[in-house]
Amino acid sequence: MQIKVNGRKIKCDPKKTLLHILRERGIEIPTLCHQEGLEPQGRCRLCVVEVDGKLITTCDNYPQEGMKILTHTDKVIKSRRINAELLMPDHMAKCMIENKHHDLCKIIADLGITEVRFDPKKKYEVDLGASVIRDDNLCVNCGRCVDVCAEVQATWAIDFARRGHKEHVTPYFEHNLNDVACTKCGQCIAACPVGAISEREHLQEVYKVLKDETKHVIVQTAPSIRASLGEEFGMKPGTIVKGKMVAALRRCGFDKVFDTNLGADMTIMEEASEFLRRVKNNECLPMVTTCCPAWIKFMEHFYHDLIPHMSTCKSPHEMLGILTKTFYAKKAGINPKDITVVSVMPCTAKKFESVRPEMKSAVDYVLTTREAARLIRHFHVDFNNLKDENFDPALGISTGAGAIFGATGGVMEAALRTAYEFATGRTLRDINFEELRGMKGIKEGKIKIKGKEIRFAAANGLKNTRELMKRKDKYHFIEIMACPGGCIGGGGQPLPFSWEKIDKRIEAIYREDSHLPIRKSHDNPIVKQIYSEFLGKPLSEKAEKLLHTKYFKRSQF
Amino acid sequence: MLNELRKIQKKHGYVSEDSIKKLSKKTGIPVSIIYGVTTFYAKLHTKPTGKYIIEICDSPSCYLNGSLDIIKYLERKLDIKSGQTTQDKKFSLFIDSCIGCCDEAPAMLINGKPYTKLTKEKIDKILKKCKS
Amino acid sequence: MQILRKTDQKAYAKAKKLGPKGVVKILKDKGLTGRGGASFPTGLKWEMVLKEKEKEKYIICNADEGEPGTFKDKFILVNNPELVIEGILIAAYTIKATRAYIYLRGEYEYLENKIRNVIKKVKAKTKSKANIELIVGQGAYICGDETAIIASIEGKRGQPRKKPPFPTVHGLYGKPTIINNLETFANVPLAILFDDWDSKLTLFSLSGDVTKPGVYELPVGTNLRKLVELGKPKHKVKAVYFGCFGGCMPYSNINLTNENVCGKDCMLGAHTIIVVDEKHSIVDMATNVAKFYEFESCGKCTPCREGTMRILNILENISLLEARKRDLETLQELAEVVKETSLCGLGQTATQHLLNALKFFRKEFEEKCR
Repeated sequence: MQIKVNGRKIKCDPKKTLLHILRERGIEIPTLCHQEGLEPQGRCRLCVVEVDGKLITTCDNYPQEGMKILTHTDKVIKSRRINAELLMPDHMAKCMIENKHHDLCKIIADLGITEVRFDPKKKYEVDLGASVIRDDNLCVNCGRCVDVCAEVQATWAIDFARRGHKEHVTPYFEHNLNDVACTKCGQCIAACPVGAISEREHLQEVYKVLKDETKHVIVQTAPSIRASLGEEFGMKPGTIVKGKMVAALRRCGFDKVFDTNLGADMTIMEEASEFLRRVKNNECLPMVTTCCPAWIKFMEHFYHDLIPHMSTCKSPHEMLGILTKTFYAKKAGINPKDITVVSVMPCTAKKFESVRPEMKSAVDYVLTTREAARLIRHFHVDFNNLKDENFDPALGISTGAGAIFGATGGVMEAALRTAYEFATGRTLRDINFEELRGMKGIKEGKIKIKGKEIRFAAANGLKNTRELMKRKDKYHFIEIMACPGGCIGGGGQPLPFSWEKIDKRIEAIYREDSHLPIRKSHDNPIVKQIYSEFLGKPLSEKAEKLLHTKYFKRSQF
Repeated sequence: MLNELRKIQKKHGYVSEDSIKKLSKKTGIPVSIIYGVTTFYAKLHTKPTGKYIIEICDSPSCYLNGSLDIIKYLERKLDIKSGQTTQDKKFSLFIDSCIGCCDEAPAMLINGKPYTKLTKEKIDKILKKCKS
Repeated sequence: MQILRKTDQKAYAKAKKLGPKGVVKILKDKGLTGRGGASFPTGLKWEMVLKEKEKEKYIICNADEGEPGTFKDKFILVNNPELVIEGILIAAYTIKATRAYIYLRGEYEYLENKIRNVIKKVKAKTKSKANIELIVGQGAYICGDETAIIASIEGKRGQPRKKPPFPTVHGLYGKPTIINNLETFANVPLAILFDDWDSKLTLFSLSGDVTKPGVYELPVGTNLRKLVELGKPKHKVKAVYFGCFGGCMPYSNINLTNENVCGKDCMLGAHTIIVVDEKHSIVDMATNVAKFYEFESCGKCTPCREGTMRILNILENISLLEARKRDLETLQELAEVVKETSLCGLGQTATQHLLNALKFFRKEFEEKCR
């Protein structure tokens, strides 16, 4: 199909939207409500172009043979300017200088708007949650958070209420997010183009403990951080910055930098053992993984019948947190009370997880990837020019199995590598479970362990999870990650969200796995040391006490 | 669902949090969506309303025939602003965009029943009848 | 009046004899067009749905007469409701729909029982098996829009979506759907049964500054002066509003056809005429209409949600004598952008009245500005 854009003929695919086609041609069209992978809603009206004297939106229109598109006529610019100006008064009144990367602020700057003629009107109370903060005053009603919560996460924690200029996003009956069935996954944050939804910052608290001489402050970083933190400092998505990250965190004043990947290896030891025990006794199968705190909360709200099926293993950073305050504290001769553990996570739900009473404050503070970058900038560390450094060896050696925890299917793959060898005593020849890799919503496969066929499945995204749950009984082992792509696409990761970035980060993670000398959790020397010196063996009484947890039924509303 | 919500509104005078939860359990539709739908429509209320719901028309036709004076008169008589309910929970007053009685303006609905060609005297009479 | 003629449900019997294609043909031949505002040929619409291969199809009778100044549908419901039900059943027969919905505006709920009885009566007489469900709107003007009415019946927020796809292809629950105005359905049996049925006759709702407001049945193309004089205005007439969405224009000697009215940047729409005499200020009228749109905007798209509110603010300032002349420029710009970039028909027409008022009665605005 051929169309004309600003007088120039171009060939285009009739199945692609005009927005897509124009952007491919390097013509940037401003938009706030458009989101890759979701139905266009045509809410913001900023993406208009002129066709035959009329303005049409490009996000929800397709090319027609011979169409003549003009992208920058006076009419187009005028309407974009007015619509952007209409969205600005309330946003401007509260927008922080730091947030100049908001899409709206960028659009305003590009359109050269220097004066906003209207006064702010909105007077919404800010919803201060344990993980997620929502400020409706900054909101521009683009609807991306609502769509993500419904279409990707099938959680429906928020929706639009009222109408006209009183329309706003809210949980039902204007409740706070804390008081409704919200998983805290943070996908709404990733979707928001104007920073109206953000994480509950733990930075101030961390600055305070870093200044406190009496505190031994330890930081641990999740598997996916090394594959995404670089983006915050202008690097290409998929750049592994493990060495720089460790060096930077030391510059910020942390006493030790530990690797959550080791926690992941510990999780595998416990989880694989638990799984084999359940298979042996034929109790509560399928067993479902519990590394993802958003999934845990989702399950507690909507699928609490599954509680007996849930693995009792804590998530990797909670395991490492408690080991830091027990095993490490003892070895290093430090009073656990003087230790503060800070986790850098790709996740907002981890913030909620860390304040669950049953976790007994093993982790004191959780920072998202974005907050970690702010922390590093706060201390004026020249991230890009740092020399690589290594994790502190006490709890800082990890395996490829731990590394792939960051991607959907990774936990399952890591667990199978270990479970197979535990059960059979033989070496697993091909340790790459290709069927568990990639961005597909639900992935499945099977493996023979001691003559028994073990069927497994992994889902990412909670809508896919609901799908998988319909046929859960077909499987023995199920992995769930709430965010698209797994932790790599978590709600705490660098903005803006894009599928391409997620692909790149995942590639990087599997590359890291393939390059590591040790790729199975049970081969990790520190893991062996922890068991031989401290825990005894997986599922020992001590391990159960420290590394396992329980779950609760929560209201479906 | 609109008919269900209407039934609840009719029965209780408003759509409460509890009734939204009940409806959600019955239909499987999430509460956030039901709340969003409820608050979209002008005739569904999420706060308790009075025994008599007065919807007074403010369409251009009624406006040209003096609805503004009638609205002000009603607000003074009931001592509430539009959108509010009297303390004795007898009356709630809402402004309606148009009630389709443009040929008999100004007009209002009380609990769905139309009262037309309104004058101050007529309003006095109607309110008196409601109160007794 | 033609609309008051009784058919005794004989049109349904005749339709059955004609067969679905015959019904479509007769409607096309007789030139029945939609009475909701867009004047789309009814026969053609039905034919489009008839041709769709989906098994399930629906019918929606749009009785959400929300347009201020319009009360012709109520007139039919009060005086000759059997026609409407018969028309719906004929449509159901034609496209083989098993379910039809009447979306009745909430303000007419006092007619609910009457309509239910008529449905029973007409269904018994025609022996039609189609179910007609009555849905009572809950106060949202936007639900007069085709796609919003669908969303509302589906139990969603009554927000419109982009067209295409049109409801004839992708309508209620994603199935092909006929949506017609109530007056259109009422005319179906008349057009089928009576040879002398006149397609030009339509119902005008006349109100505002007239002493004899009401529904007048007149041919399309009737002179505006003739119509307004039937209403016996007390004072000199200054302007007419074609409802809120049709815009306004100075009172003049014009024949009321779609083309003529469009020529004045107005729309005849549902044939609503609100008369404004010289005792009333156009600024006050504009404020009243702006208030209507501010309240009824669904909130989905930026220009309508934010624009209608800002427009009302400025107009209120003008009424309070607090505005400056340059605010009129802002007003003009806002009105243009709301019209040009809004998602649905409501937004696209929400400021036509203002654009016309600023064009034809600018002096009245300027006098109130500093």
